[in-house]
Amino acid sequence: MKMKQVAFLFLIFLASQTVHSWKKDEFRACDQTPFCKRARFRKPGACTLIAHDVSISDGDLTAKLIPKAPHDQDQDQIKPLTLSVSVYQDGIMRLKIDEDPSLDPPKKRFQVADVVVSEFETKKLWLQSASAEKINGDDGGLSSVVYLSDGYEAVLRHDPFEVYVREKAGNRRVVSLNSHGLFDFEQLRVKKEDEDWEERFRGHTDTRPYGPQSISFDVSFYGSDFVYGIPEHASSFALKPTRGPGVEESEPFRLFNLDVFEYLHESPFGIYGSIPFMVSHGKSGQSSGFFWLNAAEMQIDVLAKGWDAEGGILMPTEQSRIDTFWMSEAGIVDTFFFVGPGPKDVVKQYVSVTGLPAMPQLFSTGYHQCRWNYRDEEDVENVDSKFDEHDIPYDVLWLDIEHTDGKRYFTWDKMLFPHPEEMQRKLAAKGRHMVTIVDPHIKRDESFHLHKDASQRGYYVKDATGKDYDGWCWPGSSSYPDMLNPEIRSWWAEKFSYDNYVGSTPSLYIWNDMNEPSVFNGPEVTMPRDALHLGGVEHRELHNAYGYYFHMATAEGLLKRGDGKDRPFVLSRAFFAGSQRYGAVWTGDNSADWDHLRVSVPMVLTLGLTGMTFSGADVGGFFGNPEPELLVRWYQLGAYYPFFRGHAHHDTKRREPWLFGERNTALMRDAIRIRYTLLPYFYTLFREANVSGVPVVRPLWMEFPSDEAAFSNDEAFMVGNSLLVQGIYTARAKHVSVYLPGKESWYDLRTGTAYKGGKVHKLEVSEESIPAFQRAGTIVPRKDRLRRSSTQMVHDPYTLVIALNSSQAAEGELYVDDGKSYDFKHGAYIHRRFVFSNGHLTSSPVGNSRFSSDCIIERVILLGFTPGAKTALVEPGNQKAEIELGPLRFGGQHAAVAVTIRKPGVRVAEDWKIKIL
Amino acid sequence: MRVYSIFILFFIDSFLPSSSSSSSSKHHFLGISPQDENYYKSSSDTISCKDGSNKFSKSQFNDDFCDCLDGTDEPGTSACPTAKFYCKNAGHIPQFLFSSRVNDGICDCCDGSDEYDGQVKCPNTCWEAGKVARDRLIKKIATYKEGAALRKLEVEKAKVAIAKEEAELTLLKNEEKVLKVHVGELKEHKELIEKEEEKVRLQKEKEEKGKREAEEDLREKGKADKEGKVEHEKVEEEASTENQLTESSHDDIIGNVEDSSSKEHALENTHESASPTTEDVSSVATEIADDAGSKISPDVDKKENEVLSDISEGISREELGRIVASRWTGESTKNQGSNKDHADDSHEETPKDTHDEQYDHHATDTVVDTGKDDNEKYDYEIDDEQDESYEEESHDDMSSYNYDDEPDLSDTTSSYNSSWLEKIQQKARNILKAFNLFQTPVNLTEAATVRKEYVDSSTKLSKIQSRISKLKEKLKHDFGPEKEFYAFYGHCFETNQTKYVYKVCPYKQASQEEGYTSTSLGNWDKFEDSYRMMVFSNGENCWNGPDRSMKVKLRCGLKNEITDVDEPSRCEYVAVLSTPAVCLEDKLKELQHKLDLMNKEQPREHDEL
Repeated sequence: MKMKQVAFLFLIFLASQTVHSWKKDEFRACDQTPFCKRARFRKPGACTLIAHDVSISDGDLTAKLIPKAPHDQDQDQIKPLTLSVSVYQDGIMRLKIDEDPSLDPPKKRFQVADVVVSEFETKKLWLQSASAEKINGDDGGLSSVVYLSDGYEAVLRHDPFEVYVREKAGNRRVVSLNSHGLFDFEQLRVKKEDEDWEERFRGHTDTRPYGPQSISFDVSFYGSDFVYGIPEHASSFALKPTRGPGVEESEPFRLFNLDVFEYLHESPFGIYGSIPFMVSHGKSGQSSGFFWLNAAEMQIDVLAKGWDAEGGILMPTEQSRIDTFWMSEAGIVDTFFFVGPGPKDVVKQYVSVTGLPAMPQLFSTGYHQCRWNYRDEEDVENVDSKFDEHDIPYDVLWLDIEHTDGKRYFTWDKMLFPHPEEMQRKLAAKGRHMVTIVDPHIKRDESFHLHKDASQRGYYVKDATGKDYDGWCWPGSSSYPDMLNPEIRSWWAEKFSYDNYVGSTPSLYIWNDMNEPSVFNGPEVTMPRDALHLGGVEHRELHNAYGYYFHMATAEGLLKRGDGKDRPFVLSRAFFAGSQRYGAVWTGDNSADWDHLRVSVPMVLTLGLTGMTFSGADVGGFFGNPEPELLVRWYQLGAYYPFFRGHAHHDTKRREPWLFGERNTALMRDAIRIRYTLLPYFYTLFREANVSGVPVVRPLWMEFPSDEAAFSNDEAFMVGNSLLVQGIYTARAKHVSVYLPGKESWYDLRTGTAYKGGKVHKLEVSEESIPAFQRAGTIVPRKDRLRRSSTQMVHDPYTLVIALNSSQAAEGELYVDDGKSYDFKHGAYIHRRFVFSNGHLTSSPVGNSRFSSDCIIERVILLGFTPGAKTALVEPGNQKAEIELGPLRFGGQHAAVAVTIRKPGVRVAEDWKIKIL
Repeated sequence: MRVYSIFILFFIDSFLPSSSSSSSSKHHFLGISPQDENYYKSSSDTISCKDGSNKFSKSQFNDDFCDCLDGTDEPGTSACPTAKFYCKNAGHIPQFLFSSRVNDGICDCCDGSDEYDGQVKCPNTCWEAGKVARDRLIKKIATYKEGAALRKLEVEKAKVAIAKEEAELTLLKNEEKVLKVHVGELKEHKELIEKEEEKVRLQKEKEEKGKREAEEDLREKGKADKEGKVEHEKVEEEASTENQLTESSHDDIIGNVEDSSSKEHALENTHESASPTTEDVSSVATEIADDAGSKISPDVDKKENEVLSDISEGISREELGRIVASRWTGESTKNQGSNKDHADDSHEETPKDTHDEQYDHHATDTVVDTGKDDNEKYDYEIDDEQDESYEEESHDDMSSYNYDDEPDLSDTTSSYNSSWLEKIQQKARNILKAFNLFQTPVNLTEAATVRKEYVDSSTKLSKIQSRISKLKEKLKHDFGPEKEFYAFYGHCFETNQTKYVYKVCPYKQASQEEGYTSTSLGNWDKFEDSYRMMVFSNGENCWNGPDRSMKVKLRCGLKNEITDVDEPSRCEYVAVLSTPAVCLEDKLKELQHKLDLMNKEQPREHDEL
């Protein structure tokens, strides 16, 4: 590269640093973060607030929180806080606590806008009355109880104040807040003369003009053995305790969107995105959830059992319980309690607040090929043709930052990409798409129209003194549009029109990177907390949502570009609660090592559990050069990520799938092929997520809620309800232990061999594939023909793979639409339900669909079916189809065979029945 | 219909021709290669899959359902992922397609036969495409023809040259032997003389000791004066170096540092036996330079520390931004201070050899043959005059300048070498005879003659030895099966690409140059891919990346020239060198055969159109 000798010298200089590049010192630990440190010092029972003036008002249960002993000297500044409990359909309670606006606080605290979907408000249940109740063991104090949903109630205990939801039957608590009296709300106040509110960290000064304003409280989950969620961390799926007996590493889980260079594979530190939503699950098979809508820096402790031993507060002990402690630097209490009781119920409840995952374009569910950077048009053409040469399907070719003219987004480097439209058209001619990167930092260059426009209109985020904030990123000196402002978002969205984005074509989609935002010379590589947004909102109050707003504006831009008819595809690195509505995310700059391959599974599982189902990790690992074996294993695993993209840093060797010898090429082709054959299944799952929020890739316990052995398993995962996949996470593995949950059998996808459920199997490892199984009792739709991209598969026939359970029955679904537009919202889709029982396979419609397809079913494979029958009768038409032994799948070396109904020829859009004679 | 008719022509009497009227069987014969036609001409009802995995009936042939894992039964459809579809492409080159291309809505075969389900209509473009291809092929064949002739010439030239060099080597080895003996004798005499002289000197020293002590103070004073002056000069020099630093890119810095250091070396060498005063000067100079070096590094160490562990105090926001960015990019932060430091580091880290070589490199720039390639040209030599007026210093300089070896004696030695050798031997004999060892005091004139003769002869010997080792070095290289790459030895091929000049010197190294800065892209490693590729490896290391390397693909062409340089992966370069050396006769025959085939099929297809 352009690197000269100096770079070589740099190596000598930095060699030691590249080994452990994650620089802990550059990021604030809890004890360097005053609000976190203060909060952690609080003792249980320290909260003396009681609920006063409890009443029903505007359909809510409302109260004022006041100190129990108002005459206390220290408490003289505490003004009453307002509390409201609202109740929504499907078992959701919302608790808000804020300063009383009628008491003239110095500033209105920030409430995160545009995250709670508007439909949610329509689900509000208007409370008519509350019943006062004396609850046993509450020292005779009063509680106000309101209806929540069938079987559930919301309770506000007055003294000391505590809020919880419970099952009516047996008064069993589900989720509670302030049961340990850790609640604290630092009210905004006028600065005293001798006070210094400034905070300094590594040469950066945060002016903190409004002083301390943090909030903290404890949340308890009952009947809980594990808690999950609160991405994004590179850590185990079941969250490990961060405080209490037996905990050594004592950092809380941090939610603060940061661009962390070479993040560690096991750390509670915050990385690119934040979703303050936690899910609990326990032996009862029941789940519950808690979501705090707050975009300021948050720190969350998971407390080990016995953490409060000295606090002396006795809690109901009949249930297992997990206590957690939530701390945020600013904002208000705006929390949501989800009663479950099933894991899928909790997810559904959560997405009814924050929105359903967008329905992706079909092409975006295929394989994506990315690299920093495909350098020029010739390189693009070359890589594209190599996929063809090696008969490897792919759908999208990506261009990273170097394609631009000096990192000015929406432009092209004229030397390297003189004909962007032609380049895209060439790809489009093969049904392929292109994605270019558009980041939020705008080069401060007067000759750059975007910058000129933004600065003239005053659209940039301001620094603490009110000037345009000037930070450093790829282009050098840069500014950042204030995406909190809807006017600026729509200005931004306009930039994606074909007229404005010169060189873009309808097959071009977008990648938003660096939107944490990443600022190379800012504190912790991000924007100063005292930077100012619309309406004087401080950056500290919305930091975690900046990337969310940016993602939103970009997705809206693509939507506008296509007249609202073309589904946007936008990949974002930063995210917040609700990002699922705007596109996909990936787990950022991971590394080419086995640990990062391993941790990608809990990371993707966590994202799925918290609504962000369209996610994946960079296949191969961004930094470093993977050994071919690691790369192959990564493709084999990545083929099951909801978002499947290979990506690499520019310092790495080229690693496109054909560069490692014929055998490895074949293995990677086969891995990618498996993804393509399963696209009909994946697309059906994306539709399921789109209507229910239930993620494409899910933890085992979501499908087997009572199977305790599955609760902390994060090396295997379910794709939908039918497939179980486990990665191979070590080099040269010979054997692997795979836990298969439930009572029914599982069929190895490669060999067709059946394995019993409910036990750990020690299996031989094949280089050909990672362990993957189809659950007995399910039907998986496939398309077995290999094509250049998903686009050419539209007319290809289907294969149905039926894995029979112990009663020789199975069922499954298939969803099909045009893969691009929103016509499906008006019924232009095919949704079939396939049921196999008593030797009959029936296809019947789900819902009222109005979409046609010329696709037929070319093959039905029966696993667990006793061979013998020779013929099947197809209705209507009474045509006969042969039954024979046919290949279980194509590709790979194993010619495993299975009972196959040959060419039943039925149309996928129609009702039919196939009877085995 | 047209497509069908073409195929029926070539698909004679296969099974199931009788039902060819039904619409579904229209495609029944698609995708079959001529080699496979017989395979399907089975009289029995079933045909085996080629891999033996299964059997299929005639009605299952091309019935859009995959019965054979290897795709035997579906050459004409997309049903078997492993099947290959054959397009005849009459008028052009026949082609095998992956089954994934069949009926995928994209026209792949120029005859359009891969798209028959009605999704798209593919025009037959074989005639036009075929003509273009044929023209290209004709051109290529012409190049190969001419190239093969050139290659032949080269091969012959190389054989002659190698034979000559081998002969020279033998000759030189003989001379070496003789001269060695001769030098040995001279040495013996010289040492005897020196012994005598030592005696005399000791005597004299004793006498003069008193006198010298008296002079001591005076001399001390003089030396101090000179030192002061030198120091002053050095500071100036340093200042000017620094000025250059700020103007030029950091690479230049390296050059400067190296330059001054080699100057120092030269100084030291020159003055090894010089007066104590001068020696002092040079050591002072070294000290100053060392000082300057060590002054810089702690400074920058501190800077790095500030940045990396104590972030941002004391550096500008911009610097901080650059430095953090550089983690991802690996690019230099353009911070002059730290560059300077790195440059310094390099000086310490780089083995002397390398930088000598780089030094050489610049010096030899003028004589680098960029490929116009005249075999004789590169044998540039230090001629006879130089040989005679030979002096130690100049010899040193020359050999270090010489990249392309051949300092030399080459022709001189081999042509009238024998007479020269005799002459020198005779001369020595005379000297030795004339010299009376036991004469006291030693006859100074005679002693000087012996010394001079010794110096001359041993110089000659070392030159011969260096020539021998160079010839050996050269001849041990792999010049290809027919020595067709012999002419590459000592040559560099250059190409300008936007910012850089890429220089490929076979059997030596490849480099990238920007201004006066040269970055090694690798040292000569080997040929690969049956002499179709040259590999240079272990070039300068990339930050956070591999050692640079370059692969040079060889293409048949009439001139030796680099036609393309690319960096597909960071720091892994690929260049294309066109050269007659790879215009092989076999390949030419192959191409001609291909053209014959195309021509043979062309008229028939054209008639049909």
